[in-house]
Amino acid sequence: MPDGALAGVRVLDLADRTGALAGKLLAGLGADVVKVEPPGGDPMRALPPFWEGVAAPERSLFFWFYDAGKRSVTLDTASSEGAALLDRLVAKADVLIETGPPGGTDALRAAHPRLVVASITPFGQQGPYRNWKSSDTVAEAMGGMMFVNGHADGPPLRALGLQAYHQAGIFAAVGAVAALFARETTGRGQHVDVSLQAAVAGALEHVPGFWHQAGLVHHRQGTLHWTRYFRVGRCKDGWVMHCTLGDWTALVEWMKSDGMAENLDDPAWLDLNLRKDGAEHLFDTIEAWAARYTVAELTEGAQLRRIPYAAVRPPEALLRDPQLAARGFFVPIEHPDLGLTVPYPGAPFRMDDTRWRVARPPRLGEHTEAVLRGWLG
Amino acid sequence: MRPLDGVRVLDFTWVVAGPVTTRILADLGAEVIKIERRNTLDFGDRRGGLSGTLMRGKKSLLIDLNDPRGVELARRLAALSDVVIDNFSARVMSNLGLDYETLRALKPDVICVRMTGFGLTGPARDYVSYGPTLQALAGYTLLMAEPDGPPAGFGYSYSDLAGGNLGALAVLAALWHRRKTGRGQLVDLSQLEAVASLVGPTLLAEAASSPTGNASQEGPAGPHGVYRCAGEERWLAITVFTGAEWAGLARVVAEPWTREARFATEAGRVEHAAELDRLLAAWTATRVAENVMRALQAAGVPAGVVANAEDLCARDPQLAARGHFVEVATPEGRTVRIDGPPYLLSDTPARVSGPGPLLGEHADLVLGGLLGLSAEERRALREAGVIA
Repeated sequence: MPDGALAGVRVLDLADRTGALAGKLLAGLGADVVKVEPPGGDPMRALPPFWEGVAAPERSLFFWFYDAGKRSVTLDTASSEGAALLDRLVAKADVLIETGPPGGTDALRAAHPRLVVASITPFGQQGPYRNWKSSDTVAEAMGGMMFVNGHADGPPLRALGLQAYHQAGIFAAVGAVAALFARETTGRGQHVDVSLQAAVAGALEHVPGFWHQAGLVHHRQGTLHWTRYFRVGRCKDGWVMHCTLGDWTALVEWMKSDGMAENLDDPAWLDLNLRKDGAEHLFDTIEAWAARYTVAELTEGAQLRRIPYAAVRPPEALLRDPQLAARGFFVPIEHPDLGLTVPYPGAPFRMDDTRWRVARPPRLGEHTEAVLRGWLG
Repeated sequence: MRPLDGVRVLDFTWVVAGPVTTRILADLGAEVIKIERRNTLDFGDRRGGLSGTLMRGKKSLLIDLNDPRGVELARRLAALSDVVIDNFSARVMSNLGLDYETLRALKPDVICVRMTGFGLTGPARDYVSYGPTLQALAGYTLLMAEPDGPPAGFGYSYSDLAGGNLGALAVLAALWHRRKTGRGQLVDLSQLEAVASLVGPTLLAEAASSPTGNASQEGPAGPHGVYRCAGEERWLAITVFTGAEWAGLARVVAEPWTREARFATEAGRVEHAAELDRLLAAWTATRVAENVMRALQAAGVPAGVVANAEDLCARDPQLAARGHFVEVATPEGRTVRIDGPPYLLSDTPARVSGPGPLLGEHADLVLGGLLGLSAEERRALREAGVIA
């Protein structure tokens, strides 16, 4: 199999944690992503969680996750020598990813007209909030995600994982590759302006749509999905995601065979709109029936009947999921310094002609020599 | 000029995840031709709002793929397309005779994107799924909860947006590879894997996880969370990472407790997080969220209202200044509101190409213009119920 889809593309990654996923995605796709670190190491190396809870620059799982597959160059950009080297690296790069203050790359872009610059900032390069500060939680709040997460009588809840940063990273990668395409025609690079807030807004579903079309403000309603076809319920040994889409008749037949279908065999329920309106009654009835089964019995029985059920489980269950194991989703990565092999989450998608690259996160400055030689000669 | 001018996408996707991928391609200038069926989930007005945001700028054809003549039309369109994409469960396209091998025989450099729930291989390849079930399997639903609370999770199908946005990156990468090598390929996107890839560093730690509510997941911070403000369902998110930010918050709040020694250091604020949250929430409870947000931001503290739909779409001056939501004219003379691309390109901007299409709106344009079917042939197909 040939190299990755973006083989030959050079990326200079100056981003902090808010933009770190963009470079990771481009590295996965085969680009040569060079991360520039200060002599003391990137601040991400100091972020928890740490391997076995021991804080050290080469043990940050945060750094491992976001910087796997990148190459590390150490440069003291405060010194004139370091700044000059950075300039020469910029001149050789196709894409630069950065997270500095808005407007900070104007001179750089003018000096390097073929360079694609992807900037990730809290609110974007322009507009009244452009100098405001953010965090993943503030971005999830202002982007409209948090208001609809959580129980009706509880607080809005943030996501598992830094999903504002993740969406911004995906859009930065999308914008950067699109800009490379445009450069093939125009010969010019351009500025990709990614806002954390707008990236969250670009990862919503019903919230803006029903405001636009009906002036509706959706509220959070626990695990009852806004379509009203999904709700979490407790069964014999855990939590399960119930679903009233899929083969409804098969679900009702199953409940009937246990003598617990109540009035769900009324043909009126075949109507999807009635199932939506009657969601509370349906899920209450289904939960009373499901209490006799285990999570495994329910999910396997449902899938056999073409009903989309799923276990509500912790993320580490992914490590033991037979489907992911069969596809090799987790990739064993050796950490020779620690004498460890750690399963890393792998490709978000597979491409049959180009390889997704998962590689060990770099040691601080591990590739300084190689990059200065390879890029600058 | 837009980056994907001249790229044609044959789009069999439905519901949310697939249409999210192809709307990004349409924004970037690709011609996206949707092949639709009758009686699918209905989100209301097809021109604007949710449907319009999902289908913005695409063309619509209604084709009966249960009829061999319908499948033949789809094959002829595939032969003229750069990208063919679907998000059915694994066996559907094979059953229709539209699998990658068949498509490649029609067009050797085709990029075929299959966005299934679980992937094209493996013991669960035929399992059925929707966004909520995939989020549950990947751990989001259980861990997005109040500490010691029952599962809550996302109130919507975040998984569809995650998989959809990543799907667009896959298509762009495959198009780039084709430009450089002349080779097409098969993209096998398991939506479970896509959303699992975004869980974050916690997936590297083999420790029992438990819900952490709104605690920071990006290093020590305190206060960190959402705080109830005056009025119905008004909340403010506040994050303090640094000493300077704490000093800024203390200046704005100006209560005696902000000067207490136990809160003077980051370690102290994290150790006494529960008490700090209680004191800060008591202070915000009588104040207007927007006012506190502006005061804190002026003092250099990350703070933002927990925006509801109206805050986001009608009251946020920043998204408005970016042109995030756009008004689009429909052929009927209406104006509809639609979300635009969330990233801005300075030289060749992505933009909304048009409103969502009506079902089958572009049958004559595509079948006549692209396939060269005569009016007579189109009428015969229509009468036979193969197209609409």
